[in-house]
Amino acid sequence: MTRRRAASVLRWLWLGGVIVAVTFPVYVTVVTAVLPPTDVAAGRLVPVPDRLTLANVRAALGSAPLAQQYLVSVAVTALQSAAQLTTAALAAYALVFPRWRGRGAVFALVLATLAFPGESLVIPNFELVSGLGLRDTVLGIVIPYLAAGYAVFLLRQAFLALPRETWEAARMDGCGDLRALLYVVLPMARPQLVTAAMWCALSAWNGYFWPLLITDSPQRRTIQVGLAQLVVDQVTAPAVIYAGTLLVLLPTLLLVLFGQRFLVRGLASRVTT
Amino acid sequence: MVLPCLGLLLVFAYWPAVRSVVLSLYGNDLLGDPSRFVGLDQYADVFTDPDLRRALLTTAAIAGLSVLLSVGGALAAVLPLRRAARRPRAVASVLLSLPFAYSAAASAAVFAGLFAPAVGTLNEVLQHIGITGPEWLRSPVWAVFAVSLATAWYEFGFAFLVLLAAVTQLDQQVIEAAALDGASGLRLARSVIIPMLRPSLVFLLVTQTISGLQVFTQVQVLTRGGPAGATSTLVHELYQRAFGEALPHVGSASALAMVLLLLVLLVTAIQFGVLRRWA
Repeated sequence: MTRRRAASVLRWLWLGGVIVAVTFPVYVTVVTAVLPPTDVAAGRLVPVPDRLTLANVRAALGSAPLAQQYLVSVAVTALQSAAQLTTAALAAYALVFPRWRGRGAVFALVLATLAFPGESLVIPNFELVSGLGLRDTVLGIVIPYLAAGYAVFLLRQAFLALPRETWEAARMDGCGDLRALLYVVLPMARPQLVTAAMWCALSAWNGYFWPLLITDSPQRRTIQVGLAQLVVDQVTAPAVIYAGTLLVLLPTLLLVLFGQRFLVRGLASRVTT
Repeated sequence: MVLPCLGLLLVFAYWPAVRSVVLSLYGNDLLGDPSRFVGLDQYADVFTDPDLRRALLTTAAIAGLSVLLSVGGALAAVLPLRRAARRPRAVASVLLSLPFAYSAAASAAVFAGLFAPAVGTLNEVLQHIGITGPEWLRSPVWAVFAVSLATAWYEFGFAFLVLLAAVTQLDQQVIEAAALDGASGLRLARSVIIPMLRPSLVFLLVTQTISGLQVFTQVQVLTRGGPAGATSTLVHELYQRAFGEALPHVGSASALAMVLLLLVLLVTAIQFGVLRRWA
């Protein structure tokens, strides 16, 4: 019995060490939002109740057009994930329900794009999008990413698990393809649709390399690119950097805290295939 | 109905891949336009040009180190969690998945604050317990380590979530049978549980290696490739050549893009090979 207790204590000591190491950067990001700048500079990271202040957050908002960049990021996230879900739902429907020659080949073409690293495609895409006159616009940021192989993959898997008879019955009753997708297929696949939406939104919000390349003026950049610039401008004031990071982090932090169930479902289906 | 999706992917994924191959065969003329056919010269440069060779090695070092730290760290966190009581286990899981909420830029920004020269928070905190921290971003070796650490921390959240999901789905009967046979603690972990986690571990090693090969954000935010080019990676060189200079070297950058694409396809092919052998 004592051996087991000793093992349990040891296990929690070990886990405690891992947790401290992993959450330290998170703690720093969150707590410095309410600390006076001088405390952060001196490495005193425990909040004292009567000295709380939002000075760091105000400094971050004053240093870069973060509020405007927030709006750009929101627009990019909404547009890009809505477009990805739409194109993916249409494609997944066509790949699962109607039978036609060549759909295996088309799915292979879509799936293969998952193996393309985005960074290796930016130079021609930059030429193309600049040529369309879309540099420094929200449309320019989202246009190469209106379709995503991963979303097709997730929705195709969801649709395959649905009862085919329901779809056939709807078609017998004279339901068109678009109506069948909207009123029969999608309502049945709602949980997986939420999962796909979350992954699309997460990658749109978190994008960095392409938005950095295709935008030039500070107020038209996404919040991620704005944050990187904040790091350059405030290199002597880490407290301001943390406050800016917290602002960028808030939406995804909420997603991870409250939507983890859905996110994990997306992971599981990737591992097993 | 498949056409919008397929059309977009053809224009923004397949066409750029083909166009990159063409661009990589041409060198710059004096105006910076890629008009001089040079064949495979720019691919040879990747292995002969000292800067590029160094970037390739740095990329390998950062990718290797961060994969090791993130997957190893996630495994070290998940294994002891398996036998914890439900409540504390749920709390620990939430805490450990927090890094996943950070984007590459956000995590790099936090580490930029922690590692900042002279005012870095990490060294200030270490000073309170009597340790003088290293010059994280100013010495070449420490800078490579600092970038790897920031990358590993960013990747940790994903690795942890994948392994946590895998551990909760393990077949408890097999583990109990092994425990009845006298296997316990580390032995049980090593010879029963880790082999059972193999599919997830392979998946993680592959995806994390691929994202390690693409590491850019951490480099750009933390060091801009410095000190003296010590942390410049494949994608950072690509960025510098195509977008960071007054006279862009589009051809040379395209050759780098193709090398990256080939490396990623190679890693993916190895993954499929390994999985097929098991099946």
